[in-house]
Amino acid sequence: MLERSLVQTRGFRNAGPEGGRSGFEFLLRLPNYRGMRASLADGVDVTVDGESFPHTGNTMVIQGRELSLERLREAVDLRWTVDEPAIVRVAKPGGLSIGVHRITVGVRLRQPYFPIQHQPSIVNETREATIIL
Amino acid sequence: MSTQGFRYGVSLYSYTDDYGTVLTLEDCMAQIADLGATGIEILGEAHVPGYPDPTTAWIDQWHTLLERYRLEPTSYGSWIDTRLRLSRNMTAVEAADDLVRDIRLAARLGFRLVRPKIGVVSMDLKPDPIWEEAVERALGEAEKCNVVICPEIHAPTPIRHPITEDYVRFIERTGTKHFGLLIDTGIFQDRPLPYFPGETEDMRTTFLNGIKVDPADFLLVARHVVFIQAKFHHIDNQLVDHHIPWEKIVPMLRQAGYTGYLSSEYEGARDPWVSLEQVRRQHALIRKLERSLA
Repeated sequence: MLERSLVQTRGFRNAGPEGGRSGFEFLLRLPNYRGMRASLADGVDVTVDGESFPHTGNTMVIQGRELSLERLREAVDLRWTVDEPAIVRVAKPGGLSIGVHRITVGVRLRQPYFPIQHQPSIVNETREATIIL
Repeated sequence: MSTQGFRYGVSLYSYTDDYGTVLTLEDCMAQIADLGATGIEILGEAHVPGYPDPTTAWIDQWHTLLERYRLEPTSYGSWIDTRLRLSRNMTAVEAADDLVRDIRLAARLGFRLVRPKIGVVSMDLKPDPIWEEAVERALGEAEKCNVVICPEIHAPTPIRHPITEDYVRFIERTGTKHFGLLIDTGIFQDRPLPYFPGETEDMRTTFLNGIKVDPADFLLVARHVVFIQAKFHHIDNQLVDHHIPWEKIVPMLRQAGYTGYLSSEYEGARDPWVSLEQVRRQHALIRKLERSLA
């Protein structure tokens, strides 16, 4: 089963080779009571230790496919399910230091059964998470 | 219970956030059975792993668990995501395809009711006009699968409203027995919900204060109602519901001759396991009121 928090404890790690880190990634539980076609996700704003990484620049890996925001918005054949967290990838040359970081996510979702004036819904959550390598 | 009375069930929506983090499907079924309830309601795209194509192993497991806990499938929630893309709206044919897909899956899982949640085009939640053609195209499959399609009448939409009237007109025009109404008891809410963390007066949408539909309005549409989602948010340890006036609703349902399901839909605080206790309190409260009418 998944953890209650949106950002999962496992899966928080740097990307790229040691000495040449290109960024970091983490696992994100869908903040919704039902799974959705990936196109209904509108990206994730990320802040780590005060540094912001807007949703427009981050990619998401859903059902094994890595998608830019533009591709995500047309990804009607993929589903972000409630039981399978997505990977969020953030570009940051050098990556994150080993240790505990304060990470905030703003997960943007479009729900067609809400008036469009109220969309996207943005679900925010902050937690501390640890980079090991 | 007398066969004349209500039937009792629970929607797995009640266990949102607990389901998949601290509760498995079997845990939920054990809880529902322990209430003395007989019905289980699910949301396809939430509670069926691998939706919309679950493995046959999972489908077997579903039926095994139903048998073990003596539960029957009631209503299956689906979505018609009309604004699936930013670039264009869904067509009626695409919407019908989605609905047919869910009708077939629901029938395989033993459900007799499918509740499509349809994308909206206005602040008062008018469904996308493609709903009518989409549903009409799916009626044949509904008939074949012995399923009734039932959109929900949900706050802020009351019973006396053009949206509800359009649904009733559709039933009258087509003469179908495979389309009906689902009533969400949130429409009867007559006291405000607590503000969510960070919510201000400006942010509050009026319907969170309760649209206060007169329970007697149920009589106007009772003949078309196939299911009731017993929406609630908080019941205290004296069995007092803080928002939904069950003492007025229950006698009205009885007067209307309703003998279908009351399917708990808890929508309150999401701290772990609170939902389990809240659903029990609701069953105690409603059964007590029902008994007092006997």
